[in-house]
Amino acid sequence: MGLTIDIERSSDETLIRVAGEVDLYSSPELRKTILAAVPSVEAGLAIHLSGVTYIDSSGVATLVEGMRSAREYEIGFVLVAPSPAVTQVLELARLDSVFEVR
Amino acid sequence: MDRDLRVEVRSDPKLLSSIRSLVRRWVESWDVDSKTAGEVVLAIDEACANAIRHAYEGRPDGCVELTLHAEADHLEFQVSDEGVPCPPECAERRPLGPPDIDNLQSGGLGIQLIHEVFDEVAFCPGKRGGNCITMKLRRTK
Repeated sequence: MGLTIDIERSSDETLIRVAGEVDLYSSPELRKTILAAVPSVEAGLAIHLSGVTYIDSSGVATLVEGMRSAREYEIGFVLVAPSPAVTQVLELARLDSVFEVR
Repeated sequence: MDRDLRVEVRSDPKLLSSIRSLVRRWVESWDVDSKTAGEVVLAIDEACANAIRHAYEGRPDGCVELTLHAEADHLEFQVSDEGVPCPPECAERRPLGPPDIDNLQSGGLGIQLIHEVFDEVAFCPGKRGGNCITMKLRRTK
């Protein structure tokens, strides 16, 4: 199972919907999408993760990097509906309290 | 034991998904609960990803060897490569959190997740150079 990434832009928030497996092979695409989106977002960036069936440390690092970049541009960065696969890895990495989750 | 497995795969990140499926099926065949099985799959994936990223520096033509072995009281996993040896300080266990997100390196996080999941982790030189990580999970049944 691969990775699918969709972007929905609206005036107040840009939503990046991620589904499938985020690993060493697929995380560079997610990284590129998030880092390219950040400068053009006005209010906030939301990463929708309910369809993520697997995420590894490169995927987690991608989310951290996205959050850092959003902070530099002074926009919001929120994870939406993280799947159990995402929550489990964030907890294991002790990073569950780092992100704003909705 | 007759259910032991040994596989050799190319150091190509495209193949990690297949490795994960194989590891998940094997681990679940030993009545490991689904949450623990998920963590083992993650940790083995991280060990293979480290071999690809660091030992082979992203080259897809290296060889990663994975062995899955069961003993009465534990499951034992080995991931070896013939790439660049990992500096000893990279293999050390460091406490996770409170997270210093400004300095988070994904490679370092992978090693820490491996330590977090398994009961015993040993980093040794490989048989033909490179690295060999041995990871043991105690069986509760």
